Amino acid sequence: MTEIRLTVNGVEHAVDVDPRTLLVHAIREQAGLTGTHVGCLTGDCGACTVVVDGRTTKSCSVLAHSADGARVETVESLADGDDLHPVQRAFWDEFAFQCGFCLPGMLLTARELLESTPDPDDEEILRALNGNLCRCTGYNTIVAAVRRAAQEPA
Amino acid sequence: MSTAPTFIRPADLDGVTAALSDGDALIVGGGTMVVPELTHGRIRPSALVDLGRAGLAGVTTAAGTTVVGAMTTYTELEHSAVPLLATMAHGITGGPQIRHRGTVGGSASYANPSSDVPACLVALDARLLLAWAGGVREVAAADFFLGAFRTVREPDEVLAAITVPDVTTFGYVKFKLVEGSWPIVTAATVVRADSLRVVLGGAAPVPAAVTLDLPSAGTADPAWRDHVRTAVTEGIEIAGGPWDDVLAPGEYRARIAPVIAARSVARALDEESR
Repeated sequence: MTEIRLTVNGVEHAVDVDPRTLLVHAIREQAGLTGTHVGCLTGDCGACTVVVDGRTTKSCSVLAHSADGARVETVESLADGDDLHPVQRAFWDEFAFQCGFCLPGMLLTARELLESTPDPDDEEILRALNGNLCRCTGYNTIVAAVRRAAQEPA
Repeated sequence: MSTAPTFIRPADLDGVTAALSDGDALIVGGGTMVVPELTHGRIRPSALVDLGRAGLAGVTTAAGTTVVGAMTTYTELEHSAVPLLATMAHGITGGPQIRHRGTVGGSASYANPSSDVPACLVALDARLLLAWAGGVREVAAADFFLGAFRTVREPDEVLAAITVPDVTTFGYVKFKLVEGSWPIVTAATVVRADSLRVVLGGAAPVPAAVTLDLPSAGTADPAWRDHVRTAVTEGIEIAGGPWDDVLAPGEYRARIAPVIAARSVARALDEESR
C-alpha cells in the first residue's frame, strides 16, 4: 500500500490503496462519494465517468495511482446544495432518466459537450454521448435534455 | 488478491526504460485497454510502469515529417493536422472519455486486430521508435505487428514515438455493426504519385496491405471491383487469414473487406468527402 493524494470536488484526500485499485473504487470507498457508479468495469458503459484534470474520463479504466495529484470532479460537484445544475434540471424536465444508473456519466459528458459546443446539433450530441450506455430511455429524451440545457442560461 | 505489484510513474523516458529493465512490468499508457485486463485478472504483472509523467505526448512537425509521441491521445490527434490519424481519431469508439485517455502508442503496442491504429500506421509507412535501457531502435510499422496482440516490442522496451511521413491524399472508412462496437473492418487508403495502397484492419490478425490499380473507369467499375476482391483476398491470406472473434466471423470479414477497401479508395480519390 502506498499513499496517494486525490483532490475530489475541491477536497483533498490522502488515501492508501493497492496499486491495482481503480480510481472509481477510490472515489466511492475512500472518498466516500457514491454518485459515481460502477458498471461494466471494461470502459464501455460510461457510468463511472468523472472529470480528471478537466477532461471526462471513465474512472474504471484508470488506476487510482495514475491519478495521484489529480483534480477530480464527480457528479456530486454539479448541484449547489438544492440548486440543480442547468444540465441536471434539463434532464429532470425532459424525463431523461429512469433508473438513474447511467446518469452521472450522462450529466458530466453533456456538461463537457456544452462547455466546448454551446449550441450542439443532434449529431454532435449523439457523438458526445456515444460512450455512455442507457438501458432505459432509448436516448431520445436524453438528446432532448441536452438540447434544452443548451437553451437555458448557465 | 495476489501480491500487489509495485507502481512506478517515471518522470522521463530514461526512468521508464530503467523501470522496464527487469522485463516483467506492465506498461500503462492511457490504461483504457490494459487496466480492464488487470481488473479482470487476465494479466498479473509484478510491476506497473505508468507513462503519464514521462513526457511522451505531443505532435511536432518539421521538414515534411511528423513525430507523434506515443502518449498522444486520440483527442489531441483529432485536433492535430496529422494526415489520416486525425480522421481516424475522430471516429474512435467509446466516447470522448476514451478519446481523452486512449493513446496512439498504447493502441499500437496492444495490437488488437480490431483496433483502428495499427492499419493506419502501416498505411502511412510510419516508423516506430522503441527505447530500452541500452538505446533505441526504429521499426517500420509493417514489421512491428507479428500477430494478434503480438508485436516485435521486447518486454524491456517501450514504444516512445511514431514518425509519420507527409501524406496528402488519403481515405479512411470503417465498418462497425453498432455505434459502440469495435470496428469490424477498417480500410485506410494512401495515394502516392503512381500507386494506390490500401491497408485493412480487423480483416486479419495483422494489418493487410494491398496495392491496387487506379480505378480508371471509377470505383464502381465491375472489372476494378473484381481486381479489388482478388487483391484483398490475397492480402488477407498473407496477413494470416481472416480474423475471427466474437464480434464477427472471419468469413464475414473476408467478404466485406473488398467492399470497405473500395469505399476507402473512393473517398481518397474524392478529396471533398474524406
